[in-house]
Amino acid sequence: MSKKILAMLLAAVMLLGTFGAFAEEVKDLPREETLYFGGQQWDPIVGYNPLGDNMNNGLILSAAPRGTRTVMFETLYMYNGLDGKLYPLLADGDYAWNDDLTVLTLKIKPAAKWSDGKPVTADDVVATWDVSTKIQNGTYTGYAPYIEGIENVDGAVVIKAKLNDEGKPANPLQVLNFLCGVYIVQKDWAEGLCAKHNDDQTAIRTDPTPDAVYSGPYGPYFANDQLVAFVRNDNYWGQDASMWGKLPAPKYLAHTIYKDNDATLVAFQAGQIDVNQQFIANVQKLWEEQGLPIATYSDEPPYGICATMPTAWYNMDIPVMQVKEVRKAIAMAVDYDNIIENAMTNQSPSFADVPRSVMNPTAGEQAMYDHEAVKDLQWVGKDYEGAKALLDAAGIVDSDGDGWREYEGKKISLKACCPDGWTDWQAAMNMVAEAGKAIGIEIIATFPTWDQYQTVFTKGAQTEYEIFMWSPAGAEPAAPWSRVRAFMSSEFVGVDNNWSGNFGHYKNERIDEIIKQIPLTTDEAELKALYTEATKIYLDEVPSFSLMYRPEVFHAVNETVWTGYPEKDDGNNIPPMDCTDGYGIAALYNLELVK
Amino acid sequence: MKNTLKNVFHSPRFLVGFIIFMCILLTVLIYPYFVHRDPLQGLGKGFLAPGTYVSVYDTNNTGTYRVELPEANDNRLEASVPVKDRQTMLDFLKAKGTDITGLDTSNEHFHELIEVWRANYDEADAKKNKYEGFATQAKRNELRRLNNRLSSDVNAAMTVTKGEGDDATTAAVATSDYVKVDEVANALTLPLGTDNFGRDTLTELVKATGISLLVGLLAGSIATFIGLAVGLLAGYVGGVVDDVLMFIANIFTVIPGFVLLILIYSALGAESRSITTCAVIIGITSWVWTARSVRSQVISLRNRDHVNLSKLSGHSLIRIVATDILPYIMSYVVMAFILQVSSGILAEAQLSMLGLGPNPNELPTLGLMMNWAKLFGAYTSSNAWWAYFPVILVIALISFSLNLMNTGLDQVFNPTLRD
Repeated sequence: MSKKILAMLLAAVMLLGTFGAFAEEVKDLPREETLYFGGQQWDPIVGYNPLGDNMNNGLILSAAPRGTRTVMFETLYMYNGLDGKLYPLLADGDYAWNDDLTVLTLKIKPAAKWSDGKPVTADDVVATWDVSTKIQNGTYTGYAPYIEGIENVDGAVVIKAKLNDEGKPANPLQVLNFLCGVYIVQKDWAEGLCAKHNDDQTAIRTDPTPDAVYSGPYGPYFANDQLVAFVRNDNYWGQDASMWGKLPAPKYLAHTIYKDNDATLVAFQAGQIDVNQQFIANVQKLWEEQGLPIATYSDEPPYGICATMPTAWYNMDIPVMQVKEVRKAIAMAVDYDNIIENAMTNQSPSFADVPRSVMNPTAGEQAMYDHEAVKDLQWVGKDYEGAKALLDAAGIVDSDGDGWREYEGKKISLKACCPDGWTDWQAAMNMVAEAGKAIGIEIIATFPTWDQYQTVFTKGAQTEYEIFMWSPAGAEPAAPWSRVRAFMSSEFVGVDNNWSGNFGHYKNERIDEIIKQIPLTTDEAELKALYTEATKIYLDEVPSFSLMYRPEVFHAVNETVWTGYPEKDDGNNIPPMDCTDGYGIAALYNLELVK
Repeated sequence: MKNTLKNVFHSPRFLVGFIIFMCILLTVLIYPYFVHRDPLQGLGKGFLAPGTYVSVYDTNNTGTYRVELPEANDNRLEASVPVKDRQTMLDFLKAKGTDITGLDTSNEHFHELIEVWRANYDEADAKKNKYEGFATQAKRNELRRLNNRLSSDVNAAMTVTKGEGDDATTAAVATSDYVKVDEVANALTLPLGTDNFGRDTLTELVKATGISLLVGLLAGSIATFIGLAVGLLAGYVGGVVDDVLMFIANIFTVIPGFVLLILIYSALGAESRSITTCAVIIGITSWVWTARSVRSQVISLRNRDHVNLSKLSGHSLIRIVATDILPYIMSYVVMAFILQVSSGILAEAQLSMLGLGPNPNELPTLGLMMNWAKLFGAYTSSNAWWAYFPVILVIALISFSLNLMNTGLDQVFNPTLRD
């Protein structure tokens, strides 16, 4: 008898469980009112805390000066990679530096309001900095070396730059990055959060804050392990004439959480994703052969705006990599055209079109160094004979006749690594390995998991990977200075958990001086001379070499439901940044239904 | 022995399996004598569809023949603007409100259609006015590409200029000029196109099949050898030896083989992943079921009269096993070996598919080919069936033929299945 009761109880529990699963909050998302994204969110979100770390909320929390996603929380300015300018968002008009670049002043737009109706004020900016300082979050660690403090002076925001030993500002360019790279939070809300957790730093940083007060056009709608969605705040202040003058077109923004790239691509092809941030091999075949209503920024190669360059770094912690000739020889032997044609399927300009330097391929940066002065240092790639001659001359030869060259009596065997599943990078590493084979240096392409990879290459010292891939800073207010720094600054040598640059731990005193000098130089000719010298050192020493150019974010759209996305030469000056990043968010206001 | 072989080859299943397998094997062995290309050498740019590629440069340096093909003009029109595109042109003109009476997609009205199109299509206008059905960027791009391709006179005069400056000579190319394909210095037939690295898929596939067969054979041999040794020893000796060996076998049974394979493989690291290690690891993780079935067969054999007689005659353990037991289970072992080869090939393909395969720069394998095809969207964005379908077919055929041979053998050797 008791067994029967037990069985029935169990059955009842299971039945209730099923109901429970169905009862889970799933709100309506009418297709004609929702803009679906792809390639931004791979796991369920953790929370909405703009002051926190690891919220894993791709659609709203992605703060990078090149294009901060201002869907829910907003920055003072928005960066536009197309013209390299800052456009005011919460800020009112242009910022102003004082003469010696130590104090930056800006005003807040009078129309700017929080989601609770209170106005955004200079006090909120001050509180953002003060609370970040208190809880030592990413904003603080990222900008504390450059910002002394922020004050409210008669309603204006005054940012004081940190001064170095010589009494000069540490880095005015990084202060500009702050303007477009940090979410501003409400003072009352932030202080309330601190009080709630008794100023416990970790507790504040990890609070998911689903009820956060925000200033952006969208707020939380719902999120589960399959989907995350945001709903438009119809009282959004941006509909004021001083900002956008209207509301963004889609009522909802949503992101289905797909298993992997393939699943995302299939959904994109089927029109279930409108805006896709994903590398798609042979993207042109989607419209040319499959006839799908899919478009990219431009329908001719490279299909988007390339602003960064995935780079192979040499690990200077390994003795053989300290030999300049080995570094240069490998770089000379790599077949870049093959990488660009086959690994990137032509979604990158070639190095013949845009010769290598410390600059990204945008016209603005290309004009910042003297192309003629570094011409002799360029290499074309696939130059096996030149590479072999260089190695022979340096005494790196194959003395035991096994087909592989030796260094100090030992066969040179290098590992070339990039994370598994990063398709175009994997193919590129394979081609680096092929180049090695052609010049008698054994290079083995290895693809560790992302988890493993990221802990190794960011170490202060590592001897696991001889060659590995990562991208330096792309387009941002501080570029190309930030890229020179990321390529060669010795400040990162020996720093653990280093995500900022010089992952190969290269050292050069002259370049360190240049890196110090550039931010304080305003004379254009002088600046150009410094950048040219930096490029010279980079091309001569080859501490790393770029394999291709690549967009910061991939941007492909399916026009089944929505249209009116940014396109090349449309005169709108909106960058193809997935309709959310930096000034790219302006695209949301131009969307229309296809009907 | 002769009789057994005769029986075996009389089994239709075995025969079909054997023929398929031999065809694959012979292709693998003979193909390299005809095509000397390095299977990993990149020829093209990314995925090239199957077909014959003729050097444009060389066709201009080849003798020409005069051929008058009546349908040449129609073919040319059809190739320059297919009917599908003409329909798109008509649709656009209609959407714009242009009078299209008398226009259709036929070759007769082609020139009129183009004239009307020329008079009415303008990129900036299409962008500004967003005509119904052509409002999206994708559609407008399609129109622009179409417009760029249009040429009202497909028979326009064409000349080829050779040399530069004052030495330049110009020759007219007539519409009736033909070249003979085998006279062109450089023409390349790619029956299966190229993969994402621009490698000739057929050459790569043949090489990969060879490697995969080798991996399968090696893995199968190792697995069968270990399984046989363990099974014979455990079954014949029994007692503590049996307990210990079966204890080990049981441990291997409860750990899923494939998981074990993945763990060992990823622990090894990429640099030590050669074809041989791959085969060895697959071999040492898949011997268990051979061992168990050999053991049970040996147990039933070890108390037979002839074995007891051998024992009484003082024959050594090795001799008894080799002469009195092994021949009785040999047919079974051969069948098990065939299945082990088949599963070894599949295991390699699965591992490589997961990105855990042998070093991709040394040699191609079937799994690696599938892996790269998958990574480069051969069946999603890149639309390149030739990069993965032939591979799947070969894997299926190998596996099918081996299994067919196995069931054929079973029919011959298993008394309960004999007709």
